[in-house]
Amino acid sequence: MKILYIGKQFSDDPAGRYYTDGDGSGEEFREEVLRPLLKLNKPLTINIDENVEGYGSSFLVEAFGGLIKHGYFESDYINRVLNLDFNDSDFEFYARKIKQYIKEAIYNSEQYESTKETAINEGKFKGSIDKSFLEDFK
Amino acid sequence: MKKITRDQRIRDVKRVLKQRILGSTTKRKRHTDNNLNGELGFNWLKINDWIKNERTHGLVISDVFNGKKLKRNRIVVHLPERMNFSNEYDSTVQCLTAIRKLTSLYENVKTDLPKKALKLASVNFDKLASISTSAALVLTAEVSKWNISIRKKLKPQVENWNKDIFIQFEQLGFFDLFENKPSRKNTETSASPDVDFVRYVKGQCGNSDEAKAKKKELKAEIIKLVGDNVAKWTILHSGLTEAVTNVTHHAYPDEELCEEKSWYLTGSYNKQSKEMKVAFFDQGIGIPNSLPASQIWEKVLSYFSKLQLPIAEQAKHAKLLEAAVSIDRTSTDKNDRGKGLQDLLEFIRERGEGYLSIFSYHGLYKCWIENGKEYSKAEGMKRPLNGTLIIWNVKLN
Repeated sequence: MKILYIGKQFSDDPAGRYYTDGDGSGEEFREEVLRPLLKLNKPLTINIDENVEGYGSSFLVEAFGGLIKHGYFESDYINRVLNLDFNDSDFEFYARKIKQYIKEAIYNSEQYESTKETAINEGKFKGSIDKSFLEDFK
Repeated sequence: MKKITRDQRIRDVKRVLKQRILGSTTKRKRHTDNNLNGELGFNWLKINDWIKNERTHGLVISDVFNGKKLKRNRIVVHLPERMNFSNEYDSTVQCLTAIRKLTSLYENVKTDLPKKALKLASVNFDKLASISTSAALVLTAEVSKWNISIRKKLKPQVENWNKDIFIQFEQLGFFDLFENKPSRKNTETSASPDVDFVRYVKGQCGNSDEAKAKKKELKAEIIKLVGDNVAKWTILHSGLTEAVTNVTHHAYPDEELCEEKSWYLTGSYNKQSKEMKVAFFDQGIGIPNSLPASQIWEKVLSYFSKLQLPIAEQAKHAKLLEAAVSIDRTSTDKNDRGKGLQDLLEFIRERGEGYLSIFSYHGLYKCWIENGKEYSKAEGMKRPLNGTLIIWNVKLN
C-alpha cells in the first residue's frame, strides 16, 4: 500500500489555515491532497513525522476537521480509512490532535468558500508544491 | 484699515505656514500605540508632557547641547542598570516606551519636525549591566523601528559599554541593524557571560516562506548553543508557527498605518542554570486589543458569561488575555477558530516543566508547571508593553 509522506511530498513545515497564509496551508492540503485521495474510497496511510518540523493547530484543524466541517466526509468514514503513521514519539501529540479535530468537527456545519483566488491575486499563494505524486495513488 | 508692514507680512506668512504644518500632523491618524481606546491621534505635545512627567518618575534623560544652547530639543534616553520583565518591569518598560513614543515623531512627521518637539538623539547603554533575553529582543525591535524611521542613520557608540553587554548584543546580532557598524570592542580578556544569546531573526508579516526559514535558523542556532537536540522542540515549533500566524492575522490590522509589520525571535541558554529561553515579539496592537474584531470574540464573551465576570472586569487586558489563551479548553461549539494560542502552552505541557509568559499591553498571562502540576495567573500591568511578547523558559537536562 502506498504511503503519503506529508514532509517529503507536501511540505516539511506545513503551516497556516488558508491559501492566504502561503503555500503549504491546511486548506491547500485538504482541497488538493486529502479530499481527492479520500474520494478514492481506499484505505489511506499518512506518514506525519518524516522530514516534518511540526504542525500548527491551524493547519491540522483546517486540513482534517475541515473534511467533516464542509460536509465532504463523515467522521466515521475518515476513522475507517485513515491511518496515521509515525516513528518519532513526539508526533504522537499530533496524531492525538488530528483525531481530536476529526471527532470535534460538526458535519456540514460550514459552507466552503475558497481563499485560493484571493491568495493568488495578493501574491500569497504561489502554487509551489508539486502534486504529481497523487497519480501514484490512483 | 491699517496697512501692514513688510515685516508683519513675513511674520504672518510664517505663522500660517507653521499652523498648516502642525495642523496637518494632528489630523493624520497613525499607529502611535499610546492610546488603547481607539482615540488615536498624533500629538507631539503629549509626548513632550509624557517625557517630562516620566523624568520625575525615574526616567533618565539628558539634553544634547550645542555649546551652551540646547540642540533643537534633542535628548538622550539612558538605559537603567538592569533590564528585564520580572523584577525590573517598570523601569524596563518605561525606557522602551520612551523610545517608542519618541520614534513615533519621526514616523508621523516626515519633514519639518516641530521645533519644540523632543527628538530622540541617542540611547545610552553605558550604565546597562544586565539584560534579559526578552528585554534585549524588545530593545532591539524598538531600536530597529527608530533606525528605520530615520532612514538607517544610527551609529552605535559602544566605547563605554559593559563588556558582557557588548558580547551579548554582539551574539544577538544587534549590530547587524546598523549600516554604520561600531568598531569591535576589545573583549578578549573578559570571561563569557553565563547567558549566551542566539542571533535574533526578524520576519515580515505575510511572508510564510521567510517565516519557515527563520524558524529553522533559530533551531540550528539553539542546537549549536546547547550542543544537542532539545526534547519536544517540534511542539515549540508549532507554538512559533501559531505565533507567526496570529501576528499575520491580528497584530497589524489594515487600518493601522504602521510602517513596520514585523516580528522578532531569539533564544538564549544559561550555562549555569541550564535554562533555555525562547522569546517572540511583535509591535502590533496586542492580543487584548485585537480580540473584539476577531472571529473568536463570541467565544470570549461566552467564556466571561460562564465565569459571571462583571462588565468592568471584562475590559481588563489581563482578563482578555487569559480568556484568549483559555478558550479552547472550554469550547466545543462548531467554531474551531482560536485554537492557536493553546499551541503556545503545549511545549511546557509536553515537557512537564518550565513556564510560558505572555505580555500584551496591560496584560500578563503566565502558566508554569511544577512537580507535574499546572498553574496559571493573569495580572494587570500598570505600564503597558507596546506589543506582544511571548517567552518560553525550560530547563534542559
